[in-house]
Amino acid sequence: MKQAITENEIIAMTNQVFEESFEIETEKLQPKMNIFEDLGLDSLDIVDLIVALQQKFGVKIRNDERVRYIRTLEDVYRFILSLKNEEH
Amino acid sequence: MKNIKSLKLISFNISFYFVFFLYSAIAIPVLTLLVAYFSLFMSHRNTMKWFRRAISWYGMLVIKVFPFPLIRIYYKDYEKNPGPGPYIFVCNHRSATDPFLMACLPYECIQVVNIWPFRLPVLGIYARWAGYLSINEMPFKQFSKQAVKLLKQGASIIVFPEGTRSGGKSMGQFHGSIFRVALEAKCPIVPVCISGNENIPPRGSFLLRPGKIKIHKLPAIKWEEFKALKPFKLKNMVRNIISKEVAVMDRKE
Repeated sequence: MKQAITENEIIAMTNQVFEESFEIETEKLQPKMNIFEDLGLDSLDIVDLIVALQQKFGVKIRNDERVRYIRTLEDVYRFILSLKNEEH
Repeated sequence: MKNIKSLKLISFNISFYFVFFLYSAIAIPVLTLLVAYFSLFMSHRNTMKWFRRAISWYGMLVIKVFPFPLIRIYYKDYEKNPGPGPYIFVCNHRSATDPFLMACLPYECIQVVNIWPFRLPVLGIYARWAGYLSINEMPFKQFSKQAVKLLKQGASIIVFPEGTRSGGKSMGQFHGSIFRVALEAKCPIVPVCISGNENIPPRGSFLLRPGKIKIHKLPAIKWEEFKALKPFKLKNMVRNIISKEVAVMDRKE
């Protein structure tokens, strides 16, 4: 049986994706940060982000409609959390 | 005193737009006929080259001669040994005059534009004929394919990666499409910084105000210098270079 991943682990791993894939400084990775306006990602970067998150968490995101509504880093954490909860 | 100033501003604008429309009505057909005539003796590639250069000559008069002396343009090239290109020129975007200011660049260029410039009467048609790329009307793969093809042909590309005018001294985040093209095409990137035209004209207006517009063309960043960077990092690196230079230019205003 898979062990459930904690919220803190999800936050840490998501931040790691942003640091590794986009080289964004750790200090900037605050939950309320808008990933487009504050962190500077664009639609093509979102594709890269999805690929990186899929690899990191072993989940399928690509065709998930909820991706469209993601605005802040907190939205990303919540989205991953909901995906992980759906697994269990 | 205020009334005299307003009167001066209005008369300047009336005279500018009158000359602009008159010149456009004459120059556009003349340049078109010239290019069409020479196309009989030239390859399609050379015709396009001269057509794009003709657009620059047309723009040069519009930005440098007609608004003079109330609006002055100062262009400075910081490249010690400018090459023949092609280049990807990356510019900050404050005003609707920015695309016209690009006539200063002495290269055969096409611009990456939004949908609205294509809707301009006459100029929009010429933009399409010249092969300008309407980034919002095509998926990234198609945009990338066309951009790489143009660069391989020797045409340079001008892009305003903020996507829209800031209307002030701030600078928006950059879109990354063109930086992915630069990586793929192994094309050098040239940062171009524009300052002083925030109100020439102000956003949502056609009223030109007197002022000094400075354009600084910075040294090219060669592909070898950025090939190891990811597109996200590259776009932010170029944005920082432009942002720093523009801040200095604004302070010297």
